[in-house]
Amino acid sequence: MSDLKNEMIDLLANYGHIGFTFVACIFVGLGGGILLDQKVFNGRTAPWFTFIGLAFGIVAGFKTLLQILWRVKDKNDKNNKNDGKDDRG
Amino acid sequence: MEHPILFISIILEKLGLPVPHDFVGHTLLEKLCEPYMTYTWLVMIFLIVVSKMTLGNLEMVPGSGQNFWEILIGGMDDFFVENMGREMADALFPMLSTFALYIAVGNLIGLIPGLMSPTSSINTTLALTIIVWATHHVIGLRAHGLKYYKHFMGPLWWLVPLMLPIELISNIARLVSLSVRLFGNIMAKETLLAILFMLAGAFFAPLPIMMLGVLVSLVQAMVFVLLAVVYCAQAQEHAH
Repeated sequence: MSDLKNEMIDLLANYGHIGFTFVACIFVGLGGGILLDQKVFNGRTAPWFTFIGLAFGIVAGFKTLLQILWRVKDKNDKNNKNDGKDDRG
Repeated sequence: MEHPILFISIILEKLGLPVPHDFVGHTLLEKLCEPYMTYTWLVMIFLIVVSKMTLGNLEMVPGSGQNFWEILIGGMDDFFVENMGREMADALFPMLSTFALYIAVGNLIGLIPGLMSPTSSINTTLALTIIVWATHHVIGLRAHGLKYYKHFMGPLWWLVPLMLPIELISNIARLVSLSVRLFGNIMAKETLLAILFMLAGAFFAPLPIMMLGVLVSLVQAMVFVLLAVVYCAQAQEHAH
């Protein structure tokens, strides 16, 4: 496989799922909040847990976003370090 | 509806078996005759028969069939070792490589008219995802014991009320995003192909989408396996 294709598939695999993961986090948070409001507290606390859940979901989304970026960065740093060692050695 | 012709379903109907017209059947027999079930079995039979045919007798100097498998298995093994180390790669190789082969073949058969992708049903992808999700928790528990759950609580004790919901949400979101991503991509591909076939099938309109479909199928199989590998590796090394 050519380098360009390799790089493209690498990018797609590493970054292609960022959007989906972000949205999934928000919806899980929102869904959890709505569940707490409507099922556990029978709507007495609506809309508060919904908003709190939404806020936590958004924060969780950003956390996973940063995690993905840091993971790829760590991996690249490690590779670069190894390459540098090989050159000197 | 989306699939005008599914040849296994037609054969089963001619045999007198009840093929459900909704997405899920009601009786056990109807559930077993759902298209995504029958096509899952088709993929399984295909993989077993092909590997039996090409790997029936292993030789020192490989023929073309054995050569193909050696490249494929060797490539996957290198990929796993690079991402999670020799020991874990050996332990998890059967499961992860089966996922890779099954998802890739299951995605690709949807491009052939008369067949459908078993992965275009959320039931299949959710089942695969639950296996991966449970596996990474089991790995974390076995590696660290109950300390594994400490990393859900964040680094500082007064941050626990803030960190615990965030970590729980992002962990459950893995379940959602992993299954819905695969399902959504493949279902979109299938639906788009079916619609283009109906609208302008005589003018080869689906051909460009089919080319994209090959790319999407392979990339989605790769993404699923890559994320499974990453989750397992993270669970192993977490909670220092």
